[in-house]
Amino acid sequence: MSTQPMTVQIIDQIKPMIFDLATRYRKTLRGCRYADIRVQIDEGQSAAAENGGSKHSTRDYAFEVGIRALSGDGMVAPGYFGQSLGIADLDRLAQVVKDGLRHAHHRALANAERKCATREAFGSLGDALISTTLAPIEIHQDIVSARFEVDPRSVPLDEIVALTTEISKSALAFDPHVKYTFISAFTLLSRELLCSSEGANIDQCFALTQGTCFIVTNGKSGTQELYDYMGHQRGWEVLIQGVQEEFIQFPDFRTFCMNLTKDAVSLCNARPLKATDREMVVVTDPHYNTLKVHEIVGHPAELDRALKMETSYAGRSWLFRDLQEHQLGKPIASPLVSAFSDPSLPGYGHYKYDHEGTPGRRVTHIDQGIFSGFMNSRQTAAILGIPPNGSYKAADASLVPLIRMSNTVFGPGERDPQEIIREIPHGYYLVGHRTPSISESRENFRISAMKVYEIKQGQIGELFCNGGIMADTKDYLMKVDAVGSDFRLYPIPNCGKGQPMQTKRLGNGGPTMRSRARLTGA
Amino acid sequence: MISTAELAKAVTQALEYLRSAEQVAEAEVFASSNGNLLARLNYTSHIPCNGVEEPKSSESYGLGITVVFKTEAGITIGFGSEPSDLSLDGVKRALEKARRGAVVDPEFSSLPRATGERRRLRRYHDPKLMKIRDEDLVEVGWRVLQGGLKTFATSPQLAELAGGKGQINALGLIVGGDVTIQQERIAIASTAMPEVQTDESTLIMAFITAMVEAKASKGSGCSAGTRLDQFTDDAGVEAAHNALAAIGGERIKGGEYTVIFGRQPVADLLNNLILPSLSLSTFYSDSSPFMGRLGKRIASKHLTLYDHGNKRGLMGSKGITCEGLPTGKTRLIQRGRLVGLLTNYYEQQRIVRDPRGTEKLGVDPNQHGSAIVPRNGFRFWAGGGRQFGVQPAVASTNAVVQGGDQSLEELIATVKDGLLIGRIWYTYPINGLRAGDFTCTVVGDSYIIKDGRITTPLKPNTVRINDNIHTILSNIIAIGKEVRETLVWAADEVIYTPEIAVRGVKLDEIASFMEQL
Repeated sequence: MSTQPMTVQIIDQIKPMIFDLATRYRKTLRGCRYADIRVQIDEGQSAAAENGGSKHSTRDYAFEVGIRALSGDGMVAPGYFGQSLGIADLDRLAQVVKDGLRHAHHRALANAERKCATREAFGSLGDALISTTLAPIEIHQDIVSARFEVDPRSVPLDEIVALTTEISKSALAFDPHVKYTFISAFTLLSRELLCSSEGANIDQCFALTQGTCFIVTNGKSGTQELYDYMGHQRGWEVLIQGVQEEFIQFPDFRTFCMNLTKDAVSLCNARPLKATDREMVVVTDPHYNTLKVHEIVGHPAELDRALKMETSYAGRSWLFRDLQEHQLGKPIASPLVSAFSDPSLPGYGHYKYDHEGTPGRRVTHIDQGIFSGFMNSRQTAAILGIPPNGSYKAADASLVPLIRMSNTVFGPGERDPQEIIREIPHGYYLVGHRTPSISESRENFRISAMKVYEIKQGQIGELFCNGGIMADTKDYLMKVDAVGSDFRLYPIPNCGKGQPMQTKRLGNGGPTMRSRARLTGA
Repeated sequence: MISTAELAKAVTQALEYLRSAEQVAEAEVFASSNGNLLARLNYTSHIPCNGVEEPKSSESYGLGITVVFKTEAGITIGFGSEPSDLSLDGVKRALEKARRGAVVDPEFSSLPRATGERRRLRRYHDPKLMKIRDEDLVEVGWRVLQGGLKTFATSPQLAELAGGKGQINALGLIVGGDVTIQQERIAIASTAMPEVQTDESTLIMAFITAMVEAKASKGSGCSAGTRLDQFTDDAGVEAAHNALAAIGGERIKGGEYTVIFGRQPVADLLNNLILPSLSLSTFYSDSSPFMGRLGKRIASKHLTLYDHGNKRGLMGSKGITCEGLPTGKTRLIQRGRLVGLLTNYYEQQRIVRDPRGTEKLGVDPNQHGSAIVPRNGFRFWAGGGRQFGVQPAVASTNAVVQGGDQSLEELIATVKDGLLIGRIWYTYPINGLRAGDFTCTVVGDSYIIKDGRITTPLKPNTVRINDNIHTILSNIIAIGKEVRETLVWAADEVIYTPEIAVRGVKLDEIASFMEQL
């Protein structure tokens, strides 16, 4: 029986064995053309408090394995296997992974046989069923270290409990309008190993620290439920000191939560925004644009959606009808608008390699108004005959990766954000994102804001609650007439996609922007 | 999968150990083994594809313990779990984690105690689904996919539209979705309820979307059951049939419409708005749109809704909750009146001690215990399964809308002029749950009703609903009589519902630019 504690260092011990299984053992499976094995170990701590009372805390680990096989005699098809593991699996890990690889391979073999039979049975409808191929990539062997000042494992758990409980208590006592507070925090170290039959051997480690704040207030205008997150791929210092980087800026967690509490108190006494039937001038701040770019640029620029693989779940993309009809090379936005995904930027969307070993690189989606490209995986890149760009990521190693945003953003412009507001005779300023609802192919959106201010003669005026905007995506992007220089990145901790749904952390951001849209209200 | 006997043995051993462990005042042991097997489909006639895209599985087993410690600092409560180890070593590691993470929770009263209700559901799983082989998983995926393809391939309508049977692939035919098999085994015991209880459940379900993309028509199909032998290609066939029926969709102008919400939209509204609002934890946090309304009217008298966790044959049924309490029928809305809430043991105990409990519910919770019986404490997590690594939250099992007295044809005649909306998407409370404001778009399976009959399909992705849940519930004018199961993406519960007709639903026309692309 294994007596060693579960730590990320175990990756060092098991790496040769996993590499051997992915390369040499895979060759013993007849018809297996390709395999990759991903192993992940997390060591983390967390705590949560409600209404000033501590609710739970934990220091624990997670350990998972995920396997992909591409197999077949002639026609090739994929098969997968995933499992959660524990300390008790360490002594039998080689056997567990072998068994998993055999399951994935058997599924792939059976899948290939049925695909071949269906192709033959269905005439022209069968022609679309093809042998699975992966676009070629340069094979890497690399180690990527985590960045942090305060090691997530070194923080006394009591300190996390005390911080969340104290903030929850302070927020509740801040004002009689505050009715409920929920504060949680976690800090973790995550180490991911990918070994493939092509010889990839990539070992990446990440630190991640996040604080969550949920406040309910009740006032003249009814109830306000506000929540927000702060976080970064760094250590515990994120919540204690805040973050002051070029693109990522947060105060310390306590200040962050108290600011949100103050907003919730102001909003529960503010008038609800009235919806309009006609478009108004709207200025949206970087936090609001974080969710907007996520929903109306990032998601439709995922090639698995574009290729209809999410038709039943997260939806398709209006940017791609088929291999002949699509928006590539066409204007979809004002020339002032550029957007891209860049895993080399810091924050939640940062990584060096994706989960099939492709180096992550910047993907331009909109280049001065022209739609320019999709995030992809090796399989989807092969369908389009283009190079993979490293966007294939899973929420944990036991799950099959999907095409995911890295840091997907609107690029910065050159305008002073204050000036963008000052030159408006009448309009609205939306600050902070709240809740989205996007149409199936991302051609229309409604996103509510935390705060909406009226702008009169270039001055910020009355604060409104329960407001937002609604617009058709292309119309909205085409009408952008000012883009600020105040580019910021924020974490998105809960992007849902896939079946079963995977909730993934990633980064988004942008600068202040001005366009036109209908207001939505209560 | 680990057998229930092994899980039960592990729980017995763990509890025995915990009884004698230092400072342990109370303890509960929960062990589980879960398998989530899934064949994900992606067929596109106009784009190269795999057909069955992902035959896959995700498995886990282990134990979780909740411990009340009597310490010098007072009573603390902690939770710890250990994956892949049911031995005493695993228990010791879990206990160490629980001890290390224990906190003083001022609102904690005790671990779950018996409610006085009796367990009614046993031996309801399918042994064949517990032992499904890799080849069988692949086979059920292809079976459903082929059902859709056969329907398309034999459609004279498609052949005519394409200019010949051999050209129908150019119409952009899509069949996507999945067949999911869930395998769950649990065992639980505690110092308060020391007799080990076990539960074993299986289900198989398919949720399929089919499209004729060149004609912007979309159809859905679903099937669900607890037995492998009963599983057919029905979902694929139904989705393709519905996609064919939706060809020729038209736009409508924005405005107020009388709408018959089909089963999927009702399920979406329940999953995203109504059921979360009927959870006692949402009342605790002042976030329900029904704050202070227990015992009062919150909907039209046509609406009756209940959660039924122990009815044999319903997909979401379980024998016991993940707190070891019997599942059962919880009446939530009775002829428009709010009569009960979903809860687990912790939330029930918390609300009866909450100084604002009466204000939050609208009645004294101590006087209305039958409205807050803990039948819904489950450890569902990330796509299914009863996870040993999490503590019980409040979740619905089978949410059932009681059928009315009108067939769909009669509902359509009643509505006379309006819409039949069969599928909505991205239904979110846009200004917080309590405000009740919500929005969503109509994505398929929908039709225009004129003079009491269906005339034309409604083009998908051309209207957005912008309304409030209070208005929707108050404006129900009729309920259909055929109750059927419906699945919602990423939902824990299964919804059983008929169609529901609602007057004055606010819609906005959207995305007209798409017509010019």
